[in-house]
Amino acid sequence: MRVLTVDDSRTILAMLHHTLSSAGFEVLQAEDGQKGLDVLKTESVDIVITDVNMPVMDGIEFIRNVRASGQHQSLPILILTTETSQEKRDLGRAAGGTGWIVKPFDPEKLISVINRVIH
Amino acid sequence: MSDLDDFKATYFDECSELLSELEEQFAAIDEGERGADRLNAVFRAIHSIKGGASAFGFSGLVSFAHAFETLLDHVRDGRVPLGDDVVSLCIRSNDIVADFVAAARSGTELDPGYGAEEIARFESLCGGGDDDAPMEEFDIEFTPVAVVLDQADDDVLDAFEAPPLGDTPGRWEISFRPHPALYERANDPLLLFRELASLGEIEVQAHVEDLPLLADFEPFGVYCSWSISLTSDKADSEAIREVFEFVEGDCDIAITALGAAVAPAEEEPLDFPSFDSLVAEVKPVGVAAAAGDSEADPALAEPAAHKVAAPTTPEPEAPGMGGQAAGRSLGMQSIRVDLDKVDRVVNMVGELVITQSMLTQQMDENLRARYQELVRGLEVLAQTTRGLQDSVMAIRAQPVKSVFSRMPRLVRELATKTGKKIRLEMIGENTEIDKTVIEQLSDPLTHMIRNSADHGIESPAARLAAGKSETGVIRLSAEQAGGNILIAVEDDGCGINRARVLEVARDRGVVGPDQQLTDEQIDNLIFAPGFSTAEAVSDISGRGVGMDVVLSNIKKIGGSVHVRSTPGQGTRMSLRLPLTLAVLDVMLVSVANCPYVIPLSSIVETIQCARADFGRVPSGSRLLQVRGEYVQVVDLAERFGIAHKADDSGRFVVLCEADGNSRVALIVDEIIGQQQVVIKSLEENFERIEGIAGGTILGDGSVALIIDVQGLRFTGNRKNAA
Repeated sequence: MRVLTVDDSRTILAMLHHTLSSAGFEVLQAEDGQKGLDVLKTESVDIVITDVNMPVMDGIEFIRNVRASGQHQSLPILILTTETSQEKRDLGRAAGGTGWIVKPFDPEKLISVINRVIH
Repeated sequence: MSDLDDFKATYFDECSELLSELEEQFAAIDEGERGADRLNAVFRAIHSIKGGASAFGFSGLVSFAHAFETLLDHVRDGRVPLGDDVVSLCIRSNDIVADFVAAARSGTELDPGYGAEEIARFESLCGGGDDDAPMEEFDIEFTPVAVVLDQADDDVLDAFEAPPLGDTPGRWEISFRPHPALYERANDPLLLFRELASLGEIEVQAHVEDLPLLADFEPFGVYCSWSISLTSDKADSEAIREVFEFVEGDCDIAITALGAAVAPAEEEPLDFPSFDSLVAEVKPVGVAAAAGDSEADPALAEPAAHKVAAPTTPEPEAPGMGGQAAGRSLGMQSIRVDLDKVDRVVNMVGELVITQSMLTQQMDENLRARYQELVRGLEVLAQTTRGLQDSVMAIRAQPVKSVFSRMPRLVRELATKTGKKIRLEMIGENTEIDKTVIEQLSDPLTHMIRNSADHGIESPAARLAAGKSETGVIRLSAEQAGGNILIAVEDDGCGINRARVLEVARDRGVVGPDQQLTDEQIDNLIFAPGFSTAEAVSDISGRGVGMDVVLSNIKKIGGSVHVRSTPGQGTRMSLRLPLTLAVLDVMLVSVANCPYVIPLSSIVETIQCARADFGRVPSGSRLLQVRGEYVQVVDLAERFGIAHKADDSGRFVVLCEADGNSRVALIVDEIIGQQQVVIKSLEENFERIEGIAGGTILGDGSVALIIDVQGLRFTGNRKNAA
């Protein structure tokens, strides 16, 4: 299984990488939404985990673009965010996000949420 | 824990960068530059610092950063005007954040109440309160899902708090009707059922009464609903709600607790169909419902109609899911292993192969005669090593089915979009190939099939006019041929329009105005960088990515692409791929006493220079004449700028095949022999060198470079052109 992680924080990317690769995932990384889209142009992934607040292209815009690309309608996208306000989640979901994970994430919870949305 | 320490180190590095960025931003803001970009950048930086801090439990830093971030959020959306007083508060706060970070880094405590004054200012500026979530909620929390509980809550609790008598498990009835939005967000009822099944035994009933007639079928419509009865001794209403957490608002759902009302005598829990069989039952309907993902053929909706849909596609296999579940019930049949670990084994086996061949080389006649036992041992070692190598490669190998299975849907979509009739035939789906190769295969194949559907297959009318059957055929095949896998996409369409291709190539400067090309060269132009008929044609192939992407992707994994087209009859594009990326069969040669290796798969033949028929072109470069065909000559010593034998006597020509049947002749000093080598990346360890595909370590421990035939050819061409 391949997962694309999109976050502007190297710390979060490193922690995601550690958690996900220990669980047997192959991890691709991008540091903002635009780079995430670039990755998706050439790589196929089974799931995407994206931060919301990022420079260049934020997570909401990223999700919207992924869905609009016409090729990734059934790609699960989890929104990773410290925003506990319902508002960000709703925005993410309206853009086409499949579910969410709240930072700081608990590794087991992260994996179980992923397993919930992938085939 | 060292991982955590590593993450902390990364975090503090990142904080240093963010803090210096913040410093710059605030300096500019202080100067009066108060644009949205700056404010957003500042907000993001503080947000990142907070995010990391919360992961490590630096609570003082989290609280302060959170309050600061709230102020910044108010400032950036204009709720708090950014006056000079606020700017200086921000700059002071930035210093406080830096102090908190420094304290966290050194593990010291700041005075309790440090920053409290500023937090109070933030709160008064933001209208007396933090309207974001309170800090406790940084923990993973549960968001209630709006569900209708048909039964009063006390009943639900009763079912759990008072354990039912005996072993009678709790029972739940869930009715579930997804809205289209559920599919648009890539949620899938099947996954929800799987999740429910992890809570206990489930029985799923699909309601397909609302399915319209095929003529009225709306591809993106949602016509199915389900009722699920769940029998579980561990589920509670919260656990069930959590299953539906992500689809809140995207479905109608009602959860009813039945308690332990049903007497075991009436319904034997043991007789419940297992989830595995349910998956099989539910699947076709699930797929129909997934029409939201434009995935299903409407006719698939009903199991009965299943066969009707079949001709265009091989039957959709119950993917992964069913197989996994079956595996589970039979005990563990597969384990999930980190690819890195497998790679480590592959690498070590590679080293073992090398050591083994080194040992064999060391055995001279003398030793052989004296230590027969040792010789026998080495022979066994050689055999075992080869067996080990094959087994390890088999671990990484996967059937190409995983990629092929995505294609029927693609073809269906393409047929709908273009209004053409297309049938996809697939052959050799069980051919196994290295996992890393498979992963690189999806995009090139997608592109090739798009190309066939778009440019190859004609419209039904045109086909009839040409005396062909109305339905075009695209054949996707995979087969193993020696150390290679051949994958071909073939269509019975109109073939490549050579005149048009040549015209476009001339327009774009891919081909010079006077350059004469053979038919084959013209066909292969579709892979040339810079050649894309994208804008000229349609929205299917023309996504701004040309077929050159196919070529570069395939080259990246050591493969080659070849196209053959017959006007009016069709086009065949074939990919030749290595079985594995880790080990390469090579010919070892020497050039100026340095070892080089040439991939065996690209070698056509070797000829002694003395017997070779060389010619010269006016520019002075040599050509080799092989059976009436002229081939470009690359003298490796000259090309790599190393001293070589003054004349050609005793030297060899290695005739290699590059892409698309084009050939290149390499001149080397000596041919040493054939062997297998483990590929080591040059890019990872050094840097990319044109004409060199990588490095390897030979049996005697020396390093040899792997020749990239295709790369040499291109550099040669460029030189000639210049």
